[in-house]
Amino acid sequence: MRNTFSITIICLSFLIFGVFLSLSNNLFYTAKELSKNMLIIFFLEKDLPEEQRNSIEKRLNESSLVNNVHYISTGQALKRFQQNFPELQGIIENIEINPFPASFETNLAEENLSPETILRFIQVMKDMEGIEDAQFNRDWVERMQSLSRLAKAIGFFLGGILALASFFIISNVIRLNVFARKEEIGILRLVGATNFFIRIPFLLEGIILGILGGIISLALLFLLIKFFPLYLGASLGALNEIINFRYLSLTQATMLIAAGAFIGFFGSLSSLARFLKV
Amino acid sequence: MIELYHIWKQYQPPRWALSDITLHAKKGDFFFITGPSGSGKTTLLKLIFREILPTQGQIVIDKRNILRIPDHRIYGLRRSMGIVFQDFRLLFHKRVFENVAVVLQVLGIPRKEIRRRVFNALRMVNLHHKMWEYPPQLSYGEQQRVAIARAVVNNPKILLADEPTGNLDPELANEIMTVFKEINMQGATVIICTHDRELIRHFGEKILFLYRGKLIRKEKL
Repeated sequence: MRNTFSITIICLSFLIFGVFLSLSNNLFYTAKELSKNMLIIFFLEKDLPEEQRNSIEKRLNESSLVNNVHYISTGQALKRFQQNFPELQGIIENIEINPFPASFETNLAEENLSPETILRFIQVMKDMEGIEDAQFNRDWVERMQSLSRLAKAIGFFLGGILALASFFIISNVIRLNVFARKEEIGILRLVGATNFFIRIPFLLEGIILGILGGIISLALLFLLIKFFPLYLGASLGALNEIINFRYLSLTQATMLIAAGAFIGFFGSLSSLARFLKV
Repeated sequence: MIELYHIWKQYQPPRWALSDITLHAKKGDFFFITGPSGSGKTTLLKLIFREILPTQGQIVIDKRNILRIPDHRIYGLRRSMGIVFQDFRLLFHKRVFENVAVVLQVLGIPRKEIRRRVFNALRMVNLHHKMWEYPPQLSYGEQQRVAIARAVVNNPKILLADEPTGNLDPELANEIMTVFKEINMQGATVIICTHDRELIRHFGEKILFLYRGKLIRKEKL
């Protein structure tokens, strides 16, 4: 009975932790998706010699961050402008010269998408001779950056608090168990049992409680992730993509169970000390 | 073997449970401690196996001052003792076999050897046929015999027994005392607290009389 209660509590706290972990997974995933389609345009200096242009192109192609590189000549840029904005045709005709610089349009590769890496890459390219300016969606990069930071902070904060809460819950549950078996511990001490001998079953109990709590909470989380979108998804609309839960990775799931075992071990260790003084 | 020097014990002031007890028991001694209820017999035993600490005085067992043994090392002292508690202190959710075996399990003795020794100890107290029952299924006297089997199963160097025959019929009490005598013959120091005058008359060698926490008489029959 007491153990059912303790597993329920451990399981609930792990479940809350799991829900946030899954949410934060989703934030990371969304951020990643957003940056996947990010286009960076490098504008070239006017009348850039072909060798220099080729070396820039080579440099871009060599970068592991770049998925594909597309050269847009001044003529192509003008043509595109005319196609996109036919009503502004007159302005261009009045200028007589072609004001559009040549450029390289690059799509970022899916991997290596940390915002810091992208910014650093852009800076390095801008420092290269022949590149006049770079245009990219700075807002998105920054937003993505802060989103990731926020998700991380929430994860750590809630994770920390809940891990601490689980530790105290397990510690108290084991303390109740130890208290209920106080007499038995006393008898064991009187017949010459070492503290280690007395501790082992309680430590195992703590570890098993932690692991069971972890496994059950993972199962519940699985069900939640499976059925929650069906239940609420339709009414959430666009928000659904942000609030959507994502399954924990195998590493995260293993870590959760290992954390359960760890918390169980130390929770029971901390509650045993004062009963071993007979 | 067991030396008590000017032991005073107070649970709650102003009454002293024990006052200035000095006592020496040699290896192979067979002692009875007797006296009316509340005279301090159980307190004296509890001090020897260090369940409680004296308010004043020193206790030396096997040349070691037991008051200086740290809590986490006390198991060494207790492994050299067999104790029959007045309230038996059995594990009620464990079978008779396990109750006796626990003394050997804590020593890490192999399972086969444990089975053999537990069976022998239970046969000595005539309870081997109830080995797989739980203590609540046993009578008071039978529970007491389980406690005795647990105390003797490891051939202890010191055997302490608090009213070990209190719930047994005279015939069985004599058998138990014979078991204690056998252990004593093997070199163990035995200290038994009892009210039972008949028992003392029959088996007594050295007798200590306690009255209101004071050792009033030492007697050798």
